[in-house]
Amino acid sequence: MAGLELLSDQGYRVDGRRAGELRKIQARMGVFAQADGSAYIEQGNTKALAVVYGPHEIRGSRARALPDRALVNCQYSSATFSTGERKRRPHGDRKSCEMGLQLRQTFEAAVLTQLHPRSQIDIYVQVLQADGGTYAACVNAATLAVLDAGIPMRDFVCACSAGFVDGTALADLSHVEEAAGGPQLALALLPSSGQIALLEMDARLHEDHLEQVLEAAAHAARDVHTLLDRVVRQHVQEASILLGD
Amino acid sequence: MAAAAAVVAESLAGYRARAARAVLEQVVLPGEELLLPEQEDGEGPGGTGERPLRLNAGARSRGRVVCGPGLRRCGDRLLVTKCGRLRHKEPGSGSGGGVYWVDSQQKRYVPVKGDHVIGIVTAKSGDIFKVDVGGSEPASLSYLAFEGATKRNRPNVQVGDLIYGQFVVANKDMEPEMVCIDSCGRACGMGVIGQDGLLFKVTLGLIRRLLAPDCEILQEVGKLYPLEIVFGMNGRIWVKAKTIQQTLILANILEACEHMTADQRKQIFSRLAES
Repeated sequence: MAGLELLSDQGYRVDGRRAGELRKIQARMGVFAQADGSAYIEQGNTKALAVVYGPHEIRGSRARALPDRALVNCQYSSATFSTGERKRRPHGDRKSCEMGLQLRQTFEAAVLTQLHPRSQIDIYVQVLQADGGTYAACVNAATLAVLDAGIPMRDFVCACSAGFVDGTALADLSHVEEAAGGPQLALALLPSSGQIALLEMDARLHEDHLEQVLEAAAHAARDVHTLLDRVVRQHVQEASILLGD
Repeated sequence: MAAAAAVVAESLAGYRARAARAVLEQVVLPGEELLLPEQEDGEGPGGTGERPLRLNAGARSRGRVVCGPGLRRCGDRLLVTKCGRLRHKEPGSGSGGGVYWVDSQQKRYVPVKGDHVIGIVTAKSGDIFKVDVGGSEPASLSYLAFEGATKRNRPNVQVGDLIYGQFVVANKDMEPEMVCIDSCGRACGMGVIGQDGLLFKVTLGLIRRLLAPDCEILQEVGKLYPLEIVFGMNGRIWVKAKTIQQTLILANILEACEHMTADQRKQIFSRLAES
């Protein structure tokens, strides 16, 4: 599609959003009865489901047990029907492993693992529909699932992606914008303290622009936090009404 | 539009620490910081935050405030680590500033000292039984921890039996240990749970609700059929009624109580009482 402009002169993107505007986010907690914690999130057309088990005994070899912290085990998987073309992805392939590793680093920063030594916390994330920003949707879904499971956390983890087109930083990229080939950055933030849990970019961006893009991503992540905050409060209120408080 | 802008502005500024007393019975989320009453006084309308001098230094302190599940001490503030409602209990007598905790919903149990739980015996090794209590490690139960047990007179416990006992050691660093006697050596209802009956799992919040002093659900269930019931704080309930059908009905009711309002529950009970 030559001539597809990602940012029009009036400042509108391909799907009609403004530069710093997020896609519509809808989320639900407690969608699975069998798991300790679960959550489902839709960010625009990107849909992700996260399931948490734990803290439980270390599965597999006892030697992996850490004497002072819990082991956080994250697995990412992408459904075959999630992209435009049906693609069968074997379980241990490179992208899934890398995403799993990034999710693990993100959640080791937020979960209070010192409270559960020698145990394991499993976080499984599945992307049901991928329309850009899959890492961000996975992190947001996993945060809600960990909260649903009652595992103690230092703070929420909110993530968003950002890109840079024509001198303007765009927040929350969709698949069309990601495929256009510009620089893109994924940021996971602990909103209350403003600390960065994970920052990932594998494209070339001039350092003069880095601050602008980072600021756009941080602002968008805080907006995500506002929305997730509302979802969690509503869930807790519904649960306590049923229990008759 | 103005409300949305205000919300965004507050989220950009981050959570300001709020007084714990102002947030009681409200929903709190991880990342929020709470001020205890002592720090609140210091930041009151004094402007510079000076405290008035007092001759009796001891009278100023309100005693220790205990921070319970869902809260961590961070500096001189409380950091919320779980989502739920903030609760406070006044101290029963005299000293202490009471207990603050977060009432959160959970399915996975974490062993706590003094809790009465239902466990399943998974292994017998030498002098101890390994009991699965639903936590991250199996608990150990010595064969001498039963009423009237001596080295010659061993209790009759097989792998797969249900045990109702309490924790004597339960912290994050050690393997949990449980016993089936109290400190005087009496069983007090603990020990091996009898034959038949049904064991099922519910959330921890429901168990706490059912074990509260004036629980209407339990009174209504008691009027329905004669039954034996054991509640474990680890989310497990064992129930036994005269016939298998009655047992299953009771188990389904208790599991469904979590998702029903009080009116729906009353309807179901009245329908069952008729039939």
